[in-house]
Amino acid sequence: MKLSATIACLLTASVMSAEDIFVSKVEPLLKQRCFDCHSHEKKIKGGLALDSKSGWEKGGESGPAIIPGKPEASLLMQALSHAEKDVKMPPKKMLPGSEIAVFAEWIRLGAPDPRVSVAKSSQDLAASDTWDVEFHKRLDWWSLKPMRKVEPPKLDDVAWSKEPVDRFVRAALSAAKLQPAPPAEPGVLRRRLSFVLTGLPPSSASASLSDEAYVDMLLQSPRFGEHFARHWMDVVRYTDTYGYEWDNPAKGAYEYRDYLIRAFNDDISFAQFLREQIAGDLLPRPRINMASQTNESLIGPMFYHLGEHRHGSSLMFNGIHQEMVNNKIDAFSKAFLATTVACARCHDHKLEAVSQHDYYALAAIFTTPRWTSRVIDAPNKNDAAIAKLKELRAAIRAEVAVAWKKPFERGFLKQWAETHGAALKGVGAPLAAPDQLTQKAAEWRKARMAAQNANAIFKLLADPARAQLPHGWVMEGDGMKHGFVEEGTPLIALEGDAVIARLLPRGWHTHALSSKLPGALRMPPEHLIPGRFVSLDLAGGEFGGQLVIDDHAFQNETIAFYTNTIPAWRSFGDAELKNGVQQVTAEFATSSLNPNFPPRTGLAKGLKNDDFGYDKRSWLSVCGIASHDKAGTPQDEQNAFAGLYDAADSPDAWQRIAAWFNSAVTRWREGKTQPGDQPVLDWLHSSGLLPNKAEPGSRIATLVAEYRSAEAGIGFPRTVNSMDQRETAPASYPLNVRGNVDVTGTLVQPGFLKMLDPKARVSDRLTLADSLLDPEHPLTARVYVNRVWQWLFGTGLVATPDDFGRLGVMPSHPELLDWLAREFIREGWSTKKLVRRLVLSQTFRQSGLVADAARERDPENRLLHHYPTRRLEAEAIRDSLLAISGRLDPQHYGRPVLPFRSAEDAAKRLFSGPLDGHGRRSIYLQMSIMDPPKFLVGFNLPDLKLPAGRRDVTNVPSQALIMLNDPFVNEMAKCWAAGLLKNKDMNREDRVRQMFERALAREPNAAELRRWTAALQDFGGDTPDAWERLAHALFNTKEFLYYR
Amino acid sequence: MQPHDHCLCSRRQILAGAATGFGMLALRAMAGVPLHCRARAKNIIFCFMDGGPSHVDTFDLKPMLKKFEGKAIGSGAVSKRSQSNAGRVWFGSPWEFKQRGQSGLWVSELFPHIAQVADKLCVVRSMVGELPLHGQQNLLLHTGRILGQAPSIGSWVSYGLGTENRNLPGYVVLNNDWVPNGGLENFGSSFLPASHQATMVRAKGVPVDNIAPHDEAVIQRRKLALLAQQDAEFAARTSDAPIIEGAIANYETAFRMQSAVPGIADIAGEPEYIRRLYGVDSTDEHQRFYATQALRARRLVEAGVRFVEITCPSFDGNNSPWDQHGQIRQNHAKNARITDQSVAALISDLDQRGLLDETIVLWAGEMGRTPHTPKISETCGRDHHVNGYSIFMAGGGFKGGMAFGETDEFGNSVASDPVDIHDIHATLLHQMGVDHEKLIFRHGGRDQRLTDVHGRVMRELTA
Repeated sequence: MKLSATIACLLTASVMSAEDIFVSKVEPLLKQRCFDCHSHEKKIKGGLALDSKSGWEKGGESGPAIIPGKPEASLLMQALSHAEKDVKMPPKKMLPGSEIAVFAEWIRLGAPDPRVSVAKSSQDLAASDTWDVEFHKRLDWWSLKPMRKVEPPKLDDVAWSKEPVDRFVRAALSAAKLQPAPPAEPGVLRRRLSFVLTGLPPSSASASLSDEAYVDMLLQSPRFGEHFARHWMDVVRYTDTYGYEWDNPAKGAYEYRDYLIRAFNDDISFAQFLREQIAGDLLPRPRINMASQTNESLIGPMFYHLGEHRHGSSLMFNGIHQEMVNNKIDAFSKAFLATTVACARCHDHKLEAVSQHDYYALAAIFTTPRWTSRVIDAPNKNDAAIAKLKELRAAIRAEVAVAWKKPFERGFLKQWAETHGAALKGVGAPLAAPDQLTQKAAEWRKARMAAQNANAIFKLLADPARAQLPHGWVMEGDGMKHGFVEEGTPLIALEGDAVIARLLPRGWHTHALSSKLPGALRMPPEHLIPGRFVSLDLAGGEFGGQLVIDDHAFQNETIAFYTNTIPAWRSFGDAELKNGVQQVTAEFATSSLNPNFPPRTGLAKGLKNDDFGYDKRSWLSVCGIASHDKAGTPQDEQNAFAGLYDAADSPDAWQRIAAWFNSAVTRWREGKTQPGDQPVLDWLHSSGLLPNKAEPGSRIATLVAEYRSAEAGIGFPRTVNSMDQRETAPASYPLNVRGNVDVTGTLVQPGFLKMLDPKARVSDRLTLADSLLDPEHPLTARVYVNRVWQWLFGTGLVATPDDFGRLGVMPSHPELLDWLAREFIREGWSTKKLVRRLVLSQTFRQSGLVADAARERDPENRLLHHYPTRRLEAEAIRDSLLAISGRLDPQHYGRPVLPFRSAEDAAKRLFSGPLDGHGRRSIYLQMSIMDPPKFLVGFNLPDLKLPAGRRDVTNVPSQALIMLNDPFVNEMAKCWAAGLLKNKDMNREDRVRQMFERALAREPNAAELRRWTAALQDFGGDTPDAWERLAHALFNTKEFLYYR
Repeated sequence: MQPHDHCLCSRRQILAGAATGFGMLALRAMAGVPLHCRARAKNIIFCFMDGGPSHVDTFDLKPMLKKFEGKAIGSGAVSKRSQSNAGRVWFGSPWEFKQRGQSGLWVSELFPHIAQVADKLCVVRSMVGELPLHGQQNLLLHTGRILGQAPSIGSWVSYGLGTENRNLPGYVVLNNDWVPNGGLENFGSSFLPASHQATMVRAKGVPVDNIAPHDEAVIQRRKLALLAQQDAEFAARTSDAPIIEGAIANYETAFRMQSAVPGIADIAGEPEYIRRLYGVDSTDEHQRFYATQALRARRLVEAGVRFVEITCPSFDGNNSPWDQHGQIRQNHAKNARITDQSVAALISDLDQRGLLDETIVLWAGEMGRTPHTPKISETCGRDHHVNGYSIFMAGGGFKGGMAFGETDEFGNSVASDPVDIHDIHATLLHQMGVDHEKLIFRHGGRDQRLTDVHGRVMRELTA
């Protein structure tokens, strides 16, 4: 308001020509206010020069600075107004309103600028040259250089000479004139091995095994996979929910968690593991787990979906998909490359050889596929059942055809109509007024003609004669694959004594055989479909419905669930693409294949808040697809009545009606239905005019029972949010100038970081995965080997596992890292072989004794002169409490168990689970971004939104409060005490010994035995309460909470 | 800065402190060493009005809205900092405004009690946010970044100044069983040591998780004695004794917290007139919760807690308490009833005790509400708006009875003196004796600040 007042002043005060304004006001202002940073004399920041007309015409990185005549559309004005945080000019202080008004007025008048270019071409190029020079300089960095081929150093020390790893470590210690610590005591080592490899305390049964055998036993234990999966879950920011405002369930996240557990237990090569997570949906030969009938590879890309996701769409609130993509780039580049690519969202990286262009090229790769749900059941899992159902349906149909043999007679119909007035609607309407058939026929012809004319504007995209989708449309799931039926196909009733539930129109019906079968239809981006609108003839129920998706914002709330049995047309108009949104598309899906099901509470009417959407019947019908330029939907051409009104003109109305019905039924019986028959047949069926009862003992009853039994044998589909890149064109992604989503620059094509892909061979996720798995890749193996080292030793050879760049820490043993990485590849990317080698090394077996010299010279133990004292991870504390108390439920896998909560919030689905989580290991607790398990948070469960290669280990009083007073800890103590007292033959000392053995994996010494039995006495003597207190005290010893 | 009587730290405490992450500044504060600048205040109480109270119905009088009520706002009034489109209509405030106190500050009848302390309020009416979305604005308000992933202001204050009471945490959130949009991250310590994350004190039931001893005192002491012997031996056997010693020390602190925290949370001993002043006697459950928490807030700052935050109770299933997209007449009134009396009581009670000078009361939501609505009706509401909204500070050296900044005549955008949350953060820290550019923590390769690379100390607001 102030601004317009000033402009008004300016105009009335002096009437100047536009050129005059430029010379007298604009040019001086430019010189005074802008030239310091935007002129060839000084600097050309952001590539923008304002010392010539061509300078602002061409503009800088963000494009033209001025659009003559349009101040409101000119970037210059936007910058001057300080409206956007990231493009404020001048950056420090906004110009006075009067000066801004001068610019606005000059631009409004057409921005005449008589100055000619002073730029020399070489200077123009200077800006881009700078990055190239800088880029090449930055390539000179250890982690970008090839892995060296090194021989392990030779040593005099025999014990340390067997394992090459030890030779590197020992040599480095010697160089620093330090000695390794003596080996750890056997009990201490066993406890360490057990926690490091399985996250659980050791069981006493293994005492007689050699170290090698013990390690092999642990590696073969299924607990190993659970423990290592949890490590990887930190790296990929695992979460069961999407957080933000509503904490919606992340569909199938737990399937990904179970996939990780299986992958670690089965020692799937890291190469395969990486390939699946990056491009599992694109593998020509997916890995099928025959035992569980699972397509493992397709689960991998759930990796992308983890982390926080906002609901809504960037078309409504700009920034939603961009933030999501940023989280993916961050997770991908940290997890696999230990490189901070996300820093280049707003500008070329300040320290690394990563350009802003690189960031957006990666964004283009990641936004090419549809981000949606996939069926992870093995592809042919249901084939036998489906074949059986089809066969039974045909047999039932044949039986019914016999039952429907008897034609309708005029007299019967007349009499029936008199007693069934309520049914005489729709197809039945002519029966209400048989004397008006001639008049109705004329009306019908007129209406039919009008509908046919109106329908001329609609171009049918799906050929009604063939079960074929238009180009670019893809389907998913057996429900769609086996769902196409001819007009009038019976839907077999799944309960009651009816045979047929209804008769289906021609089209796809996901429930045609079973409403447990999943189905989805995915359209190409709207703007690629001919015509301004696309319409579909749709029906659905039980949370089958549609989701409009703007640029991968799959938690878009333009979601609808259908409740119509009779298909109805729905139109989708091309949305205006803005805010950097490259495409809008729609998906039609049963609930299991809807990536936003269940949506936030309240959006799916009839769905209870505590219903997480598992195991639901759901269905969807697609009976037509048409494109058109004018709004509207195709009209019903009323084919159903053709057989009545177009038929030979019999004087007897009831005769005509009977003939109409009989011919439709006859065609059906002969398998020759034609368009328009289904409504007639379905009306006859639903009005009870066609026999539909399976008489007990009849052949048809047997067939129906068989059908129902076969249908009952089909399992609910397993689906996860993954990727679907079928029939999608490579995306290009708009660069956001200074990271500002409101200022879009050029469209960037798919590609990878130039520093790792100088020949630009990467064009999609599959080639991306391939490039990472090049045995000479400088980062992939190094980064993973370093993670494994850290999981075993507490600190990696590179102490910053997610950052091998300039902000990270330099490797403590660079040659060892390279040797290990090469060896890891040579041994087939096997995690277990790597782990086995490391834990059996002398380096790992050292005790925690620290020599004074070592403490002095290497206080951080970077040279590995002892094994550090480590606090149990959050999960290990909770799992140990369960294991020691005898409460641990060894069950693997499955849906997340709700954590115990003292307060619930139904709207966000934050319900409480049992205090002890049913005794399940912590990995199975629901990881809700909004409210993660409190007990684990107390012991540094990382923020679930972000990759966390290394956890914090804090040491705070609230942890003492948890161990002292948390009801779970006390419950476990009680449980343990009750178990101990079951054995009546033990005396106090024996029990204390057993407790030490279980909790600390060692015998108590004599003093301890006295101390703990004395405490027992003070706690109340040999009573259950006293034993509970003693058990609780043992849980609170630091020796229990730490291992060494 | 007044010298504190408890500042004599033993070397052991300092070491233990270092293990639990005290900043150097905190040690200086505890030792009575001057901070970055003269500290006017020692504590902050943040009344977080979650959901976004309407500025044009509280502190920002706009008669034009009544005059043009029902008229389309037009494309010129559309902003992406507002849920807006040209077809929406202006919506006059259902509440009357009056000038209050000696200062004549405008406060609407929505807040009859706060109106009575108008002369203590320093209202900023020109707040500008970044996005009209709860999650982002909440995180911006708390952490200075719309994406969060940074410490909450309470954690920064705790980190920077430490606690004055070693039995109590430095940052306490008096919660009403409510997780605001943006999640618990709003109260998190992020990359600062975990000891600076908020300790949650509940309105209903047990105030703090695990604070009530499981065992009777004699048993617990016996357990701790047993542990002391056992752990000392273990510490001697390990390579990293200081870690174990730190853990042992934590048990000592935890033991003391068990009695200190409930003692402060227990308001039963407060005189009846004080309890009434806050509204603890209210028949409305939610008002009772809020009043209890406000009274606890005073007791906590008296006991030396640096930063106390009070969240709003949610009385329905709404996304956040003040988020009235519809039913603003009914539900803004209800939110006001729940909070107004207690906030006013807190200010006047602190004042009477002479504590208001050293305590800042900050009253702020994460956004304001649109001065327009899709359609005028009895049940209409206001939507998200960050293009000029109101917050206030009281005490701690802020000027009273003043309003700073202006929105345009419709309350739809800032007309003069825009203020962002970084400016408020910088000013709050300044009043606490901390230079926001110097309170830093090295993380991710750079020196991180609450105010990131922004923020201006607003001397216009302080006496």
